[in-house]
Amino acid sequence: MENVNQIIESLKQKYGNSKDLNSRIIKIKGKNIGIIFFESSSSTSTISDFITKSVITEKQNLFESIFKNLENKLWNCQLFTTDDINELPYYLSSGFTIIVTDDSNKAIIMETRADLDRGITEATSEPALRSSKDSFTESHSKNLGLIRKRIKDENLWFDEVKIGRRTKSRITIAYINNIADKNKIKMIKNRLKKIDIDGILDSGNLRDYLTAQKSILPQIKSSERPDLACQELLNGKIIILTENCPFILILPTVFLDYIKSPEDENQKWANATFTRLLRFCALVITLLTPAIYIAVATYDQNTIPDKLLISLAVQREGVPFPTFFEIIIFMTVFEILRESDIRSPSNTSIAGSIVGALVLGQAAVDASVVSPITIIVVAVTSICSLIFQDSDFINAIRLWRFLFIISSCFLGIIGILSFSLIFLTKLASLENLDTSFISPLSPLDIEANKNAILKLETPKLFKRPKYISNINTTRQGGKK
Amino acid sequence: MKKLLLILVVFLTGCQGYSELNKLAIVTAAGIDKKNGEYEVSVLIANSPKINSSNKEGEAKTTVYKAKGKTISSAIRQIDLKSPKELYFSHVNCIVISKEIGKDGFLKVADFFMRNPETRNRFYLLQVDEKKASDVLKIISPLESYPSQSIKTLIESSQNASNVGDTASYSNFIGRILEKGYDPIMTTVKINGDEKKGGKQSNLETTEPNTYLSVGPLAIYKNDKYITTTTKEETKVIQLLNNETQELTYNIKYKGKDISFYSNMTKTKIKLKNKNHIKITVNIKGDIYEITKDINLNKEIVKINKAWKKSLKKNIKDLITKIQFDWNSDIFGFENMIYKKYPKSYKKNLKNLKVDITVNTEITGAGSLAKVIKEDK
Repeated sequence: MENVNQIIESLKQKYGNSKDLNSRIIKIKGKNIGIIFFESSSSTSTISDFITKSVITEKQNLFESIFKNLENKLWNCQLFTTDDINELPYYLSSGFTIIVTDDSNKAIIMETRADLDRGITEATSEPALRSSKDSFTESHSKNLGLIRKRIKDENLWFDEVKIGRRTKSRITIAYINNIADKNKIKMIKNRLKKIDIDGILDSGNLRDYLTAQKSILPQIKSSERPDLACQELLNGKIIILTENCPFILILPTVFLDYIKSPEDENQKWANATFTRLLRFCALVITLLTPAIYIAVATYDQNTIPDKLLISLAVQREGVPFPTFFEIIIFMTVFEILRESDIRSPSNTSIAGSIVGALVLGQAAVDASVVSPITIIVVAVTSICSLIFQDSDFINAIRLWRFLFIISSCFLGIIGILSFSLIFLTKLASLENLDTSFISPLSPLDIEANKNAILKLETPKLFKRPKYISNINTTRQGGKK
Repeated sequence: MKKLLLILVVFLTGCQGYSELNKLAIVTAAGIDKKNGEYEVSVLIANSPKINSSNKEGEAKTTVYKAKGKTISSAIRQIDLKSPKELYFSHVNCIVISKEIGKDGFLKVADFFMRNPETRNRFYLLQVDEKKASDVLKIISPLESYPSQSIKTLIESSQNASNVGDTASYSNFIGRILEKGYDPIMTTVKINGDEKKGGKQSNLETTEPNTYLSVGPLAIYKNDKYITTTTKEETKVIQLLNNETQELTYNIKYKGKDISFYSNMTKTKIKLKNKNHIKITVNIKGDIYEITKDINLNKEIVKINKAWKKSLKKNIKDLITKIQFDWNSDIFGFENMIYKKYPKSYKKNLKNLKVDITVNTEITGAGSLAKVIKEDK
């Protein structure tokens, strides 16, 4: 390596003389010791306290090489050396401090990262009543820690890859070594290795690389709950953590995972089963209600009971639009309302909901632009869709719902029926990491079904689901 | 290309059977009269909105359209021209026919409603007692929030009291006509009061309605032709033998005093002994409902029971005799039973049938009073 001044100069040039790249050269016994760091991403007080102090006390060192001495003496647990100058920018940007001396062609790299994340807070996108409250954050090491502290087994392994030519994001594949399926880990690693992109900023960017088939439905569940992540790790699933992203990915995901909630595991079995059935009903309602309403109101009126039909007919009196048009307009308006509610800052969202409730609901009915039953149908549909936490899942269901509406516009109940077949076929055809999307229902796995739609008491769940991993499936002892 | 074809398949279906709800005139009842050899069909449309529309449920006004024609369908075609909306027959829940139609033969009328794929077969079939069928449709009932449903709710609510129940249904009636050795009965409906006032809004505004509908006795048919109307007592006995009684109040005279029985446990068995011999067993359990004068129940309850039994048996016997000789209408399907058991040697001989009647009565209680209320002197 060249001398200290040259190294500093070349690094500064690499960064285009960015002002946050700081350096200090200390001269001891005619030799230069250079300290280089980013004041933006590293903690300057740590540098002053531990590095600068140590370097200055080098003056008392008379005999040994300064580099060797510093390497042994610096008060930090994360410290290593390198002789490759090309490695330096990665560490510099990550918040490490680099120490170079005249008497060695190596550089000391010491961890001095600044605390640039918000700390562990409560899960906001997946609230739960009876579960641990912490959630993943943007800090990669904290995220790993949240998992590590829950599972104290040495078989919990973290494999790391760096993806992104520019971001060089750390992607960690976490799994329990003697439970998880080796083939699946290998497949995931292979898929990750193939990625050659400039940057991965969110785990959502990885999703498409990790699925083999195209589909609107997300085939990988994401979550910000460490307790769910650990639960899934114990089931033999594989977790992917992305640096600077509080959402982890859980692989392999099946359809029923979207029906479950992390809270189910902590509840009495009967309650968990009942809520799962409720969610299942909600899924069917949110998927089919508008379509069934259109079919029944425009094609198959004879399926409605007398009094209901008369009341529907009277309500529709004076409404200028066809039924399906009414529904489509109002479904769209609701989706826009929901979208604007998510995007807008919290103090304007109140105005949004007032306009939504009063103007769109009340006034539209009074002006007989829509019939009240349409509002009811749209409301029931949207309430039921809010049960599901994964936004990708809701959005996929929403798209399928519109397809169902269109099919019922043209063919009535028959349209819904035939389109349900298409929907089920699509679900059954999906497969990721050798796992069918509708397991454990098909292929049927009775042992896994004890905790699928239904949930048995925890003491009775002896086996791990086989569709996730075939190795070491005993979950708890006690079975004869 | 394949995808394009798939999309086209969906869009080229051309919306078969598409109709918006507000373009339908929902017919909930129809009346059929006969006048000068022509059918006069009237339909009750349930969803005509009020003029000052506050689109609230249940506030629908009803409209009756009427037209004449040589056939039912030509009359309905005439109504279609009058009505601004398309007539929709799937929710017909009641059809009223006049006596003339019954005398003329009901099967001539039945074809339209059986053939029409829209109509269900589960509606009530009623015969109007004296007046026109179209008048029945016009009566507005004060207690029913859906005026169009008043006839239906009337029948359903009086199912217990007057035991019309299943007898009134259309499919039951047609089924009995078509079955060998079975003659149908039909429930009648009666307009009480002035039918002209009954169709006006003012009928709703009085506390005591001028005009109202009530379910009347049964009409006896021979094949599809009307013969006669029963009395109230006969109706009770017919439904008792038909096993359609849910609640039965029965009065007897005992030592010159009136005693009422109330029973909700009746069971009738009609059995075939041989080709010419029918055995009817009636089991009935009931409570004493009302006694008008002092009777020592403890002593006389056995006697009362016997009197009840005797009276019931006599009534049944009278009815069977009437069926066999006066009406010659096999409303209990005796011949049908013979036909089912001896299909080869079946011939019509209702008159020569021997009918045995056994009645078992049992008084299960005397109500909450042990004695009769009287002034203590």
